[in-house]
Amino acid sequence: MEHNIEEETPVPRGPKHGFLPIVTNWFDRLFIGIYLFVALELLWMRFLEQSIPLTVCHVLAIALGALIVWKG
Amino acid sequence: MGSNRTGWLLLAPTLIILGGFGIVPFIYVLWVSFHQWNPFGANPAMIYNGADNFRRLVFDTEFLQSVWFTMQFGFFAVVSEIVIGYLLAQLLMRDFPGKSIFRTIHTLPLIVAPIVVGSVWRLMTTPSIGIIPYYLNHWFGYQMNIGSSATAAFVTTVVMDIWHWTPLVTLTLLAAIVGLPKDPFEQAQIDGANRWQIFWHITLPMIRPAILATVFIRLMDALRTVDEIWMLTGGGPGAATRYVGLHIWKIVFPKTDYGYGSAISVIVLYLTLVMCWLLYVGLVAPRVKRST
Repeated sequence: MEHNIEEETPVPRGPKHGFLPIVTNWFDRLFIGIYLFVALELLWMRFLEQSIPLTVCHVLAIALGALIVWKG
Repeated sequence: MGSNRTGWLLLAPTLIILGGFGIVPFIYVLWVSFHQWNPFGANPAMIYNGADNFRRLVFDTEFLQSVWFTMQFGFFAVVSEIVIGYLLAQLLMRDFPGKSIFRTIHTLPLIVAPIVVGSVWRLMTTPSIGIIPYYLNHWFGYQMNIGSSATAAFVTTVVMDIWHWTPLVTLTLLAAIVGLPKDPFEQAQIDGANRWQIFWHITLPMIRPAILATVFIRLMDALRTVDEIWMLTGGGPGAATRYVGLHIWKIVFPKTDYGYGSAISVIVLYLTLVMCWLLYVGLVAPRVKRST
């Protein structure tokens, strides 16, 4: 009975080199995503909410967070 | 399997304490920050108000001003403490008469409670009876009054913080310097490097993690300072030294506006984390090496 070693070996979830200028793991990227989420929400409330609803910011911030976690 | 269980058992007290005193209160503050809650007001019920507290906060000039003052306070205090602390640590690396007495006296401010430091500095800076205004007037003709001059009050709070916390920086940097290997320094001296080159290219890079850890600790402390400032200036004159910790205190205790105070606390925690993270990224985070 032969096992395919490549299929069984788990993919390591260690440091990753994405578009961010520093070496990060998934938790770092999640953290950066949360930082940016909060910053965007606060800035939106201060400067843009009078003309564009906050829901747009939620969508953009979540999309940005997902992009950072996935590709960052 | 057995060792795994033993590991979790050994970790359990720490996790329980961390969870009970750190994580649960944080989640509770986060929960309260999305509510309007004045438990001593006409309506003591907790009313969910979405992001209204945060919306109020980004337009609150008093809060934004207090954040700006706190940043200035943190910057001047922490930079001065690191520079003076490093120089004192280098001094303590040498032998001189009375070194142990100096080290003991120099470390004494660390064991004084912040509220006592504030009251002592208040006595020392009160115009009619304080020793500092007396000598400033006697030697330089400067009339110091922290009750009327915003600049004098700000500088006094920074100097008080430096006096109180520089010994901590000295001790941590001293520990870092003592632990450095001798070889690179001897090598550099043989190669003809001068003192500045040795400091810039050897000492500083090698003690960078210790400096960063110290900056983190001091920055976090400086951003949440309350008792010393409350005792020394009470946030005045006007709101010149109403740093953000004091601002939160005034919102939560005299005004009993727990919801808004919690929202400010969450944002201050956020700002502290962002600043520490930026420092980490700027100074020690490993860079991605991209092949061109």
